[in-house]
Amino acid sequence: MKRVKNYINGEWVDSKTKEFGEVWCPATGEKIGEVPFSTAEDIDQAVQAAKKAYWEWRCTPPLTRARYFFKLKDLFENAFEDISRILVTEEGKTLDESRGEVRRMIENVEHATGVTTLMTGYNLEDIAQGIDCTAERQPIGVFGVIAPFNFPAMVPWWFLPYAVVCGNTYIVKPSEQVPMTQTRIFEVIDECGFPEGVINMVHGAKDAVNGMLYHPDIKGISFVGQSSTARYVYKACGETGKRVQSLGGAKNFVLVMPDAEIDRHMPSMITSFYGCAGERCLSGSVLVAVGDVYKELKEKFIAAAKALKVGNGLQEGVQMGPVVSKKHREKVLGYIEKGIKEGAKLILDGRHIKIDGHPDGFFVGPTVFDEVHPDMTIAKEEIFGPVVSLIHVKNLDEGLKLIENSEYGNATCLYTTNGKTAREFKYRAVASMMGINLGIAAPMSFFPFGGAKGSFFGDIKGHGREVFQFFTDTKVVIQRWT
Amino acid sequence: MALTTFGAIMGFAAEMVGQSGNIYRNLVQQAKDHGLKETLQALSAEETKNHSLMEKTRRENVTEMILEPIAGLQKEDYEIDLKTEERMEDGDLVRIALALEEREKRFFSDASSKLPLPEAARIFRKIALRKQENITRLQNLGLNQTLKKSISA
Repeated sequence: MKRVKNYINGEWVDSKTKEFGEVWCPATGEKIGEVPFSTAEDIDQAVQAAKKAYWEWRCTPPLTRARYFFKLKDLFENAFEDISRILVTEEGKTLDESRGEVRRMIENVEHATGVTTLMTGYNLEDIAQGIDCTAERQPIGVFGVIAPFNFPAMVPWWFLPYAVVCGNTYIVKPSEQVPMTQTRIFEVIDECGFPEGVINMVHGAKDAVNGMLYHPDIKGISFVGQSSTARYVYKACGETGKRVQSLGGAKNFVLVMPDAEIDRHMPSMITSFYGCAGERCLSGSVLVAVGDVYKELKEKFIAAAKALKVGNGLQEGVQMGPVVSKKHREKVLGYIEKGIKEGAKLILDGRHIKIDGHPDGFFVGPTVFDEVHPDMTIAKEEIFGPVVSLIHVKNLDEGLKLIENSEYGNATCLYTTNGKTAREFKYRAVASMMGINLGIAAPMSFFPFGGAKGSFFGDIKGHGREVFQFFTDTKVVIQRWT
Repeated sequence: MALTTFGAIMGFAAEMVGQSGNIYRNLVQQAKDHGLKETLQALSAEETKNHSLMEKTRRENVTEMILEPIAGLQKEDYEIDLKTEERMEDGDLVRIALALEEREKRFFSDASSKLPLPEAARIFRKIALRKQENITRLQNLGLNQTLKKSISA
């Protein structure tokens, strides 16, 4: 049984805690490891190491810093399959999904190596007679990420490479549910040979989170998780004067117009709702049939959902794995019960799915509710599981109203063959990530990632060009030598 | 078994070229004709390269955004009898090589149209073309007439 360690100042160290959590394989339901619930003292140890490493790292030329990441990219390629398999084992997603996630992690490393262009400031001569002005981007100090369970490899890397390549030092706190993937990733970091203290990792739960949020020497926090926690993180960082980008939950609407090419796009719709077992903030959750498309869409969607191969993600060919934990499975099942109680019609029931050879796995089969009313809980709250709510509306306006009324604004998608409809949707829908004839509107590393309304607290989002602003201060220097 | 995901297709492709590579290494030992030996050695080396290429393609082209279910490819459609004997004549070796190349040509050609990722599809098309060249090369081997007859039979 593996008990993971913290990585502080270039060394693997035990936490000072006496409390440990359990790590499970969602496909088999077996305990596979233990994770320390690190204390604020552990966090402080990491912060002190990061603080000590900061100045020398900050003075290291950006190109030299980038070279560490070039090397790291190669090392990640070598460890690609290993990381992907560990990820499947502790999180439950399929191998393909896992590989896709690790790929996106690496893409962030690739993007960050553009620091010599992306971190530059700007200047203007003669802002007044004989006076020149420059705006220079400077690193700030110690930053950290508090990561969610659903993308254990990728999410910390929406932030880490940019922070570090800009000259900051860093602390990662992985989700206590899935600590092994990032531990394997840190083995690669260790092999890469970054200077001690530049990149650190502390495992843990609430105490570690609060240890980071309230530590006076941490200058900024990136968070990804559910909205209630995102709001808490945002407030705490406000109180302690930290920079913050706090990405919350989602309730994503997928609109299908009567002119949509349903057969062509059905695989994309299915992936949107059931990819990663619905455990992602970009997953479709409410399927909105606009006008006449309702009957055909419902029949074809149900047929495709039924055909999905559910099983252990390590088996090549499996299309949907289990949800992350027994507790989460119960939560998802609770939402299904609530849907039934509130009067929605359960037309595909995934509650009793049996997977050969995996009697104890945390599986929930593809589930679909029809006749869902926008006021029902399942139409409003984030379920984070393979449960689809089908709503029938008369026209695009009604569909847009659903999006507008949602407390979330993370992502939304539209299927249509009409450019005018697409333009109208793009123009009016209040969600920050949008797919047109695409079910997963996932910005790549060179575009910003983050939502609107209750899905995001802060202003500068994850990765993209903007993230260089989050990890640097703009120093304006005004000079007169004449 | 249906190959319904990008990973399943890439995994099967890697398995297939790996299998062919192993067989070619065995056939090389048995070939008597110098030209045939050289050809089989080249095919063996090519499959080693293809195996690495499949793993690299799977690693670098997987795109989380479009991991959509794939339909219309069955593993069974590309299964052939891979039994080889300890002592075989050159004509038998050529027949086995042709069967392997034809199977791969068919698979890479069929799968290329199913893959939603242009780079992966391009690589598959390229391998399918290469397999056609290999087939022609095997068919044109300058072997004796008896052998040619036995190959065409």
